[in-house]
Amino acid sequence: MNKMIISVLAKDRPGIIASITSDLYELGCNLENVNQMILQNQFAGFFITQVPQSLSCETIRQELSLKEKDHELTIHVRFLEEETQAPVAEKEIFLITTSGPNQKGLVAKLSSIISSFGANIVNLKAVFMGGSNPNENVMSYQVLITKEIDAPAMFAALKEKAKELNLDIRIQHKNIFDVTNKI
Amino acid sequence: MFEDQEIISTIEMVKNENLDVRAVTLGINLFDCISHDLNVFKKNIRKKIIGHAATLVETCDQVGEKYGIKVVNKRISISPIALVGASFSSEQMVEIAHELNDIAKIVNIDFIGGFSALVERGIAKGDQALIDAIPEALANTQRICASVNVATTKAGINMDAVLIMSRAIKKAAALTADADALACAKLCVFSNIPQDMPFMAGAYLGVGQADAVINVGVSGPGVVKRAIERNLAQQRLPLGRIAEIIKRTACKVTRVGELIGREVADILKIRFGVVDLSLAPTPTVGDSVGEIFQALGLSHIGVPGSTAALAMLNDAVKKGGAFASSHVGGLSGAFIPVSEDLKIAEAAQKGFLTIEKLEAMTCVCSVGLDMVAVPGNITEQVLAGIIADEMAIGMINAKTTATRIIPVPGKKAGDSVNFGGLLGKASIMNVPHLDLEDIFVEYGGHIPAPIHSLKN
Repeated sequence: MNKMIISVLAKDRPGIIASITSDLYELGCNLENVNQMILQNQFAGFFITQVPQSLSCETIRQELSLKEKDHELTIHVRFLEEETQAPVAEKEIFLITTSGPNQKGLVAKLSSIISSFGANIVNLKAVFMGGSNPNENVMSYQVLITKEIDAPAMFAALKEKAKELNLDIRIQHKNIFDVTNKI
Repeated sequence: MFEDQEIISTIEMVKNENLDVRAVTLGINLFDCISHDLNVFKKNIRKKIIGHAATLVETCDQVGEKYGIKVVNKRISISPIALVGASFSSEQMVEIAHELNDIAKIVNIDFIGGFSALVERGIAKGDQALIDAIPEALANTQRICASVNVATTKAGINMDAVLIMSRAIKKAAALTADADALACAKLCVFSNIPQDMPFMAGAYLGVGQADAVINVGVSGPGVVKRAIERNLAQQRLPLGRIAEIIKRTACKVTRVGELIGREVADILKIRFGVVDLSLAPTPTVGDSVGEIFQALGLSHIGVPGSTAALAMLNDAVKKGGAFASSHVGGLSGAFIPVSEDLKIAEAAQKGFLTIEKLEAMTCVCSVGLDMVAVPGNITEQVLAGIIADEMAIGMINAKTTATRIIPVPGKKAGDSVNFGGLLGKASIMNVPHLDLEDIFVEYGGHIPAPIHSLKN
């Protein structure tokens, strides 16, 4: 069996997951992970699956496109390499949350700083609804920080940029959100 | 993975509702510092306290920064000086207070608690020396807090000690007359004093504690108030549901305190003790226990219904704290310190809160008559009577009660006093019949411990 990742984009409607997973089942695939999200009215789904050796990425894509031809799906398929388990580095997750006036390029400006320090964004949520309510223009980055990263310098750079952009920024370790929200 | 609302609500608690860790208090046992030689004793306590606390402030700031939760006060509690310095005279006790004050400055903390004695059953030589030293020690230092436990549920009330403490308070007031009797704001008289309390002025490290321990005091009246307001804005709720909201909020706040306290303890390689979840106000808008009463639908703290509301509040806070952590201790409940709470001070100034009602409310709060400024011409008998009444409430109800009463020389009911900073400002409360010299408190001796059955 080969391992593949399949991404599916579509206008959201009931039954997309049921339909795709049924197609994969009929093709002899064995699902390992599925994740989905809906942004505004658009569905995005990710499926990691074991696929019979006889099926190529292109075959899977064509078969799914054929079966779902009435549903205007955008499908991408690629092989996944099995990675050897890397040693567990000491790492911590911080939440970087900003609120303030919507402007073009906010995500690009902040994520560039995070990237320049070698930190990895493991989750990002951004909602820009405009208007004056700061809670309706919020970015929240969950950033993985390893020992090698100069976290104080990165936080200082982010605070400096936020000040320049007139954003309120909060940088807090993930555990504070755990203790206040998860019982 | 957190929902948007979870992230926003946590940030709101910190940003707009004054959620903070009110105190990280490092308890240090000083029994191994004992010596008959005062210089050796001073050298020993200096070495031990600085050895443990040198990086306390820096560590608290680092951990606070990491979680985005400010640790407002970093403090130290020590073994009762009356015990570890039992061989010294009152003059030498004053010298010890100066030494502790210097140490507090070196480690950059605002208060060190434990200039204390436990005299509920009787006054030993060291206790007497310490009590005699209290007025001068508090008047001539800035960072020392003193406490004397004069009653417990199992021992009864030491009425000799009550009268002696009344005199000590009056003397401390006289020595700091030019500062509105500030020394008295650093002096508590207790019934059933907890051994692990992180809050000043009563913090000390009890004899059953570890060599060094981190205790955390978490506050959060602003968070509780906003939680009540948010829910009542959506619909009218019965009080049982409101109590549930308070309990859940207290649970969250306690978990924040334990998270931060444990991390500080880990970094300092010191044992973690307890979280004391007390709704401890500051004189800031949005950080007031009095405002919680208003959120509950009472126009002012002190009006009829206040005792019931406080009982519900205190109990819900305790339940939430107990659910959040297996290491809850100290006072854990609601404080009603008059000058330290904007709305309580206002209610007292407008006459909604009288000293009699305040005493009634202390039957169900977690401390007692706290930061109550009274006219300076109150007699020592009336002051001792107020202390004795408060001690009786604690003794009979098997709870902690305390008095931190400030008789301000030269000032009368209605005059204003300003103690500065977190100690706040207030109007002098009216004390009816303050010139009486009734001899009840002068009989001395002991009010026996109460019976522990036949309760009603």
